Amino acid sequence: MQALQSTLIQLVQGLKFTIGIFFFTLIFSIPLGLLVSKGRMSKIRIVSVIFQLYISILRGTPLMLQLLLVYFGPYYIFGVNLGSIQIGPFNYRFIATIIAFTLNYAAYFAEIFRGGIQSMSKGQYEAATVLGFSRMQTYFKIILPQVVKRVLPSVSNEIITLVKDTSLAQVLSVTEMFTKASAAASAQVSVIPFIVAGAFYYAMNLIVETILNRVEKSMSYYS
Amino acid sequence: MPDTEKDIVLEITDVHKSFGDLEVLKGISAKVGRGEVVAVIGPSGGGKSTLLRCATTLERVDSGRIVIGGDVLCENGSYCDKKLEKEIRSKFGLVFQNFNLFPHFSVKRNITEALIHVHKKSREEADDICKHLLEKMDLVEKADAYPCNLSGGQQQRVSIARALATNPEIIFFDEPTSALDPELTKGVLTVIKELAKEKMTMVIVTHEMSFARDVADRIVFMDGGVIVEEGSAYDLVTNPRQERTKAFLAGY
Ligand SMILES: Nc1ncnc2c1ncn2[C@@H]1O[C@H](COP(=O)(O)OP(=O)(O)O)[C@@H](O)[C@H]1O
Ligand SMILES: [Mg+2]
Repeated sequence: MQALQSTLIQLVQGLKFTIGIFFFTLIFSIPLGLLVSKGRMSKIRIVSVIFQLYISILRGTPLMLQLLLVYFGPYYIFGVNLGSIQIGPFNYRFIATIIAFTLNYAAYFAEIFRGGIQSMSKGQYEAATVLGFSRMQTYFKIILPQVVKRVLPSVSNEIITLVKDTSLAQVLSVTEMFTKASAAASAQVSVIPFIVAGAFYYAMNLIVETILNRVEKSMSYYS
Repeated sequence: MPDTEKDIVLEITDVHKSFGDLEVLKGISAKVGRGEVVAVIGPSGGGKSTLLRCATTLERVDSGRIVIGGDVLCENGSYCDKKLEKEIRSKFGLVFQNFNLFPHFSVKRNITEALIHVHKKSREEADDICKHLLEKMDLVEKADAYPCNLSGGQQQRVSIARALATNPEIIFFDEPTSALDPELTKGVLTVIKELAKEKMTMVIVTHEMSFARDVADRIVFMDGGVIVEEGSAYDLVTNPRQERTKAFLAGY
């Protein structure tokens, strides 16, 4: 009973980092993904090739490896020691985690957004053009709202995956929930901490799913 | 004669347009006077849509001159500045074959959005214009509906209302009834006939021969990127002079 209680306390301590990784990654990777998708669709060949390469590499290599590279890369490659960096409550482990997650998820989001943008019919742009809307107005009033609806199912998938992927931050010893669960499990010689952690991840995803379903429903007034 | 010149709403002179190696418009010249209704007919692939798209800034011509409402859009294939082009865009409306309504906007917002955000009208003013147009289109009760809940004919009437909202000097129609089931075309054609009675200047690409004959003042027959024949609507349909026109009309 006491063991379970201390497990819960530790996991809840880890939970705030887990949630931190989740939200910061979403906040940064969605806009970055939009920019990357723009770059990927650029008419300038070299720009589009560079972004294509970016997407290909970040989707084609393990996120865990990317985490290690972002964290250790500056020191081992450039001899720069960033280990002492601290921004507010966030140490470099956490910052490196957010950077790696953001770069990785932006690549996935970029491809989803590109699919959504390219699925828009030319007629929508043309109707907006002859009505006199500027390019910005066309993008933000006409195109983007429709793209959001189209990409939401794929974006939801990524968001649910992200909840689970936060556990990869363990490799940088970020004290998120999974790291805490591992520590508790080996201290107690028990799988209970893992089972409790699993329940937490599942509960988080239930909440995420509920919210996403609401959003999807709020856009179902047209087809 | 400056007076008649002033009343030319659209003037196209020797317009050429190619897509790669394919020359689609091979020197088109035409004038449309204020209040005139011109129907453009001809076989598929003849360049009718491309001509409309060039006149509505959706395609860039290679050479030639286009003047709309007295403003020169392009001369020898080189275009006016962006500011004037934007102004020119407010002088015409375009109705597409497949409507291209904004599916995420209600009927009302489809009609008022450009009024408010491009033409800087107040919401009340825009709502007034919208209400008036929906009455005309017999769609008052659909103001808050979304395009996906309307029939094709109703959607096309909304798109006509959207094109009319900004009070353009000329409206272009590209086969406005071709995407519609036959029983739905009537409502759309009736609306266009009403507009003709009100002396709205219109250029209509259509395959509805009897409609073209009844509603148009003039018919232009296009084939292979050139205007083969043009004349008063009745004459051209009942008494075509060119062999190609005869062959085409024989199919109807
Ligand atoms: N964007 C384009 N790129 C290449 N070819 C085109 C394009 N638009 C039209 N065409 C070609 O131009 C010709 C004329 O097409 P169009 O103007 O649509 O004719 P119509 O409207 O009279 O049927 C056709 O051969 C068509 O394939
Ligand atoms: Mg056509």
